[in-house]
Amino acid sequence: MAEEVLTPISQAMKDGVLTRKDLKELMTRSNGPGLLHLLIFILCYCVTGLLILLTQGSLWMIPAMFLHGIILVHHFSLQHECCHYTPFKTRWLNEIIGTYCGFVLVIPNKFFRYEHCNHHTYTQILGKDPELIELPISLWKYLWYVSSIPYWKAKFSELFNHTLGRISDIEKEFIPPEERSSVILEARLYSLGYVIIILASWYGDWWGVIWYWWLPVFIGEPVMRAIRMAEHVGRPNITDMKQNTRTSLVSLPMRFLCWNMNYHAEHHYASSIPFHALPKLHKKLEGFVHVESRGYWGAHFDIISQILGFKPRSDNIKN
Amino acid sequence: MREKHWRDLIPVSELEKNDVTPAKHGSLDFAVYDTVDGIFVSLARCSHQGANLCYGYFDGKTIECPLHQGLFDARTGEPKASPATRKLIMIEARVHESMVQILK
Repeated sequence: MAEEVLTPISQAMKDGVLTRKDLKELMTRSNGPGLLHLLIFILCYCVTGLLILLTQGSLWMIPAMFLHGIILVHHFSLQHECCHYTPFKTRWLNEIIGTYCGFVLVIPNKFFRYEHCNHHTYTQILGKDPELIELPISLWKYLWYVSSIPYWKAKFSELFNHTLGRISDIEKEFIPPEERSSVILEARLYSLGYVIIILASWYGDWWGVIWYWWLPVFIGEPVMRAIRMAEHVGRPNITDMKQNTRTSLVSLPMRFLCWNMNYHAEHHYASSIPFHALPKLHKKLEGFVHVESRGYWGAHFDIISQILGFKPRSDNIKN
Repeated sequence: MREKHWRDLIPVSELEKNDVTPAKHGSLDFAVYDTVDGIFVSLARCSHQGANLCYGYFDGKTIECPLHQGLFDARTGEPKASPATRKLIMIEARVHESMVQILK
């Protein structure tokens, strides 16, 4: 039997920030808010897809694809929620919708779930957190990361290796032996899906997948990279939840798109609380977690200030 | 081997209705589940990485770990969904004179 660990939620209870009653109320699950949010989200990308259609052949098609891409990459926010089984009360809905989101973005869902478990166990700990993005050492490295080129390289290499049945030593630390075959099978099914889509496009001589899906995702991904950086980059590599994660206060449309994941410190405190209850949790944890009131721009201002030496680097702070 | 006896754990009146309630006996933490099939008790630690299950989401049949959302049948301790792979340690329990007791 594993030893009991001090989790963020047990820490919050010990510190008296939350009561059991608060927690139980905030944890209440339902399907309604998630399905309504999903419906509006789908409508959003139908509209931006229509914009691409209407601007086809003109230069306006580029901003239309960028806008569409920004919305498409936010499938990640929903997949992330689904991997915590919180947006929908019906558990299998989270698995199906999470798998769909992962297929849109080349992030096999089961693999992501295991990887993300370790991110929650070892948040911001160098060498242990598999999702850790290090504070870049230069402005060039910062731009290189935001470009998403290293990200896509890593994603395609993961999918390729898993499809060939290879699991790396680092991945073996978070995928238990009995689950490795299902992670490999999942990667093979995703790869098969992409091959079928390419063959069907070739056969039908219609490459809408490129204009309405792959190219927009590729040009929209830097936005998601920047959002992901805002969650932890520039915060210290220590175990203290009050310090190692950043909540960014952002506009209503951004909160909608990212399924309230801007309340990231709150999410790390209690990952069983659904996205729609995070604003309430934010109020309860006021003054207890690190909040960037200037939003994602402010978070990047902080990151760049550290890179350029205007502020002390957060990676020099030790436990 | 030491003989086991029924020991008082928590009065039924203190249980959180249709939910999971934390209880302590000696140095051990227990999770008491008010399930659709009656009262069941397990050690409070998740068999995956040790988080306290009493802070988890409970639906009357299954308990979800608050840290990684692994799922267990609260009546049998069987793991139902990843990353849970090992059974919970279940403790034989009964309700006697309005008190939840465990065989220990």
